[in-house]
Amino acid sequence: MRKSQIFVGGHFRRITALAILLGGITFFPGSMRALAADDTITIGVVLPTTGSESKPGQYQKEGIELAIKQINDAGGIMVKSKGKKLKINEIFYDDGTDSKKSASLTERAMSSDNAVAVLGGYSTALGTAESVMADRYKTPWITTGAGATAIFGKGYQYAFGTLSPVALIGTTTGEFLGSLIDQGKLKKGLKVAIVVENTDHGVDYVQGFTEWSNKHAGYFEIVLNEKFELNATDFSGVLQKVKTSKADIFLSDAHLPDYITMHRQYLQNGLHHQMVSYGARGPEAGARQALGAGTDYIFSGIWWSNKLPYPQAKKFAEDYKAFTGHDVDSWYAAPAYDGMRILAKAIEAAGSLDKTAIRDALKKAQLKDSVLPGQVLKFGANGQSEYPFVITQNKPDNKVDIVFPKDAATGPPVAPTPNK
Amino acid sequence: MKRPLGAAGWIKVILPWILLAGLLLLPATHPSDNLIRLLFITAVWTTTSLGWNLLGGMAGQVSFGFAVFFGLGAYTTALLMHAGHSPYFGFVGGAAIAMLASFLIGLPTFRLRGPYFVIATIGVTEAVRVIMNNLDVTGGASGYRITEDKPFSPLEHYYTAIAAVALAFVVSMVIAGSKFGLALRAIKQDEDAAADLGVNPFTSKLWIHAIAAGLTGIAGGIYARRAAFFYPGDVFAFQTGISILLMPVIGGIGTVWGAVLGGVVFGMVEEELVVHFPNLHLLIYGSLLIVIILLEPDGLLGLLRRLFRLFRRKREDSGSPDADQILWGRGGVEGRKF
Amino acid sequence: MDAVEYLDLLLKALLLAGVYAAMAVGMTVIYGVMKIVNLAHAGFLMLGAYFALEMFQRFHIDPILGAVMALPVFFLFGMLVHWILVRWLPKSDTPTLASLLLMFGFLLVLQNVGYLLWGTEDQSILTPLTLSSVQIGEISIAKVKLVVFVAAVVCMIVLQIVLHRSWFGRSMRALIQNPYAAKIVGVDDQRTARLTFGLGTAFAGFAGALLGMLYSFSPDFGRPFLLRSFVIIVLGGLESVSGVALGAIVLAVLETFSTAIPLPWYWHKWSFYYLPPSYQPVVPFALLVLVLVIMPKGLAGLFNRKWKAA
Repeated sequence: MRKSQIFVGGHFRRITALAILLGGITFFPGSMRALAADDTITIGVVLPTTGSESKPGQYQKEGIELAIKQINDAGGIMVKSKGKKLKINEIFYDDGTDSKKSASLTERAMSSDNAVAVLGGYSTALGTAESVMADRYKTPWITTGAGATAIFGKGYQYAFGTLSPVALIGTTTGEFLGSLIDQGKLKKGLKVAIVVENTDHGVDYVQGFTEWSNKHAGYFEIVLNEKFELNATDFSGVLQKVKTSKADIFLSDAHLPDYITMHRQYLQNGLHHQMVSYGARGPEAGARQALGAGTDYIFSGIWWSNKLPYPQAKKFAEDYKAFTGHDVDSWYAAPAYDGMRILAKAIEAAGSLDKTAIRDALKKAQLKDSVLPGQVLKFGANGQSEYPFVITQNKPDNKVDIVFPKDAATGPPVAPTPNK
Repeated sequence: MKRPLGAAGWIKVILPWILLAGLLLLPATHPSDNLIRLLFITAVWTTTSLGWNLLGGMAGQVSFGFAVFFGLGAYTTALLMHAGHSPYFGFVGGAAIAMLASFLIGLPTFRLRGPYFVIATIGVTEAVRVIMNNLDVTGGASGYRITEDKPFSPLEHYYTAIAAVALAFVVSMVIAGSKFGLALRAIKQDEDAAADLGVNPFTSKLWIHAIAAGLTGIAGGIYARRAAFFYPGDVFAFQTGISILLMPVIGGIGTVWGAVLGGVVFGMVEEELVVHFPNLHLLIYGSLLIVIILLEPDGLLGLLRRLFRLFRRKREDSGSPDADQILWGRGGVEGRKF
Repeated sequence: MDAVEYLDLLLKALLLAGVYAAMAVGMTVIYGVMKIVNLAHAGFLMLGAYFALEMFQRFHIDPILGAVMALPVFFLFGMLVHWILVRWLPKSDTPTLASLLLMFGFLLVLQNVGYLLWGTEDQSILTPLTLSSVQIGEISIAKVKLVVFVAAVVCMIVLQIVLHRSWFGRSMRALIQNPYAAKIVGVDDQRTARLTFGLGTAFAGFAGALLGMLYSFSPDFGRPFLLRSFVIIVLGGLESVSGVALGAIVLAVLETFSTAIPLPWYWHKWSFYYLPPSYQPVVPFALLVLVLVIMPKGLAGLFNRKWKAA
């Protein structure tokens, strides 16, 4: 009696609740697929806009979408085989900073959405997972956010990248510090502590720096070379080693979240070095917000800066602000913007939507009005582009200056950095 | 145990064969690459789900740590392939290493019961991930790459995964119907009573853990071979272990078909969820888990069963004691009243 | 490394232990009374950190005050969670997997809510205190760590007083010691459970705010701290709140010194070897497994009713 009451009472409620939930999950997504129209060019974009790399991913997405908008506003890309200008249809997938999903979503874009090319892959691990798919599906893939050379050393024919190799940051850092020594601002024989993330990104950085250091004997002495866990909460162990090493220079290569967390603990530990760098990170607004004046004088080797004196770079910064409503405060958007633009150029040069033809065109393509340092973007034999890095330094009151190379500099380097 | 088969019973016997035949013949209909890819992923996940269910569902030992076996399977396969062995030898090797690891983990942790075992598995999986992230032999956090000389063949990967899921299914069915399976259920219900009946709970748990780990290791290897690149933050991730656990719980814990259903739902639906609700998929899993725990411990399978009975206008309590036993513990069954 | 550096590390470890204790104590009381392994603890820690951040950014309330304000807010929130979800769980003398998975599901929900509200970027609370440090000879200590330590210790003392002096505290301890006897003498177990869950959540929110002052955080913030909380309550499970304090000290010291102590190593000859810092995150996880496995006595103490709340 009692049992049946309970049962009848709870029965329908349970079923309804579960059925609604299930129905929602199973049937809703299927109906949402937007079908690509026939006379458009489908480009897949796979980037993280959720998860730990969401911010850079978002910036890169905005860069790509700005380029697409500009191209479409101008009528699209002229495709000879179709005899007319075609607009770009972007299919965007968020991989949630999960490499399993990056790979499958890239595959999905290439196999089921029939994208003629896929852009994306921010951060080395995610980009590496995606890179496998390019040759598998014979579809051109351009990473706008993975700079580790390991991706391009595998003989892939369809993988391209618009980021200059990470090792070059290390080399440029060596060159920059070397020039400060030559100018007499720093003394020769500097003790350097290097602490990098334990990924290809970090490995390449160390390799680049040690290469320069070995070639120029007497400039540096590397007293500490440690790795740390990506996305860690606590860096006390590694910072203790830095403290004990009594180094003059502190070099790190970290992603944005780790840079913020680590530098916070660096400051709390009362550490100070003549020069401090976090590799490709430094001037980000998020870091300024989190650490305030604590980020002053940090220098970084980056792929792009809004301080670059080229007119097209200035125009890009303005367009970006008009498009997104916020300033382009970091480098992430620029290589993505140019990645889309060089792809458009290659499609036009190929004269058809044949993927292999586009690949061949990409190999030869040159973007003459590139916003990136060097002003010309082209891909090397292995698919990776190579252009110089600029070194920027944070200055008080949220100012950032390019301090190296000299011909692009907007201000003098501060070295050694003042202690409080 | 033996009863004459009714209509429903016959369906149970025939259904797997129909499914298998359908999956094997599917490529003849020239399906899209994407469908084959989704079915591949589904088969891999279902294999892990079936594996987990052997330990978690049948023996009642819930583990958050199956990512360890998945990852070890992936790495072992990759290393063996790198050394020039056939991928199939690699899968066997992956299973072997995963089983070995299961003994290393099980020997100390199976002295713990219930939630303490669960917590220990969380610790193990996190520790293994950090260690693998820093191990130079396997490329550390940079990950590992598999390069195969021959051209990529989606169908070969597909058939391999189907074979794995069939193996996992057969193993599950055989164990479920065997004396060993009975011993496992006894352990789930009451370890001490089972021991009094002459079952050795410790060794039984060790063996079922090893079998489950082996299946998960094979799945990891198959996944890795197709992905061609993987790294510890991916295959050893806590999230991977969670996914492996969620599937059978969502599908219907303790039953072979529940594990299959969970794997299928997860494999086929997860990507759609990620694509269309990138901001909501944790919320959906979380709510689903809460709803299942509080309202329908038998998971989706229980719900289906219930709907089926509703349709047939035969009202009876369908709550299986299996799920109650695992989720609510021995003293808990009477407490589940609303 | 010289003596001063070791002293420096020891001080840092002790300061860390204060926060760790505050972090674990909420989990302990909930476990003690309800036998629920509260995986949602991580979510409450995360919410606590964001609570302090919001208070600081919107109303310019000092995060320490924000942490104190988190106590009543999270107390009510915890009671609400208990009323909506937890009370439906069956009573059990031993922890059930249902409770574990339920709280895990709730953790996923909380995390997702965190992502929706605050996005995925790392946030941090920046006050003038954050980056300044006190210099004593060669040792420098971050001021914020001192403040956080003091707040944590004061709060633990208040909790002790509540547990011993108030009617609620007594009924709570009675329930922990012997639920049947407690019910016979008239303790309202549902009400006490609700209040306990509130109390545990309040402490989680408080500790989360304190952690938010020390570390930068994102909605995925709580997980490493959740595991540390496990280690601590298992370690300190023998006795009470002071047991938790002890567990916190052990964990903090081991973690801090793990990379600073030379380990003897035999490879053809004896040599000393330092644990690379990148392996440091293994310490709490490995310790968790070790403690669970080699201290079943400690566990028995924790999970038996002999365990005392004071």
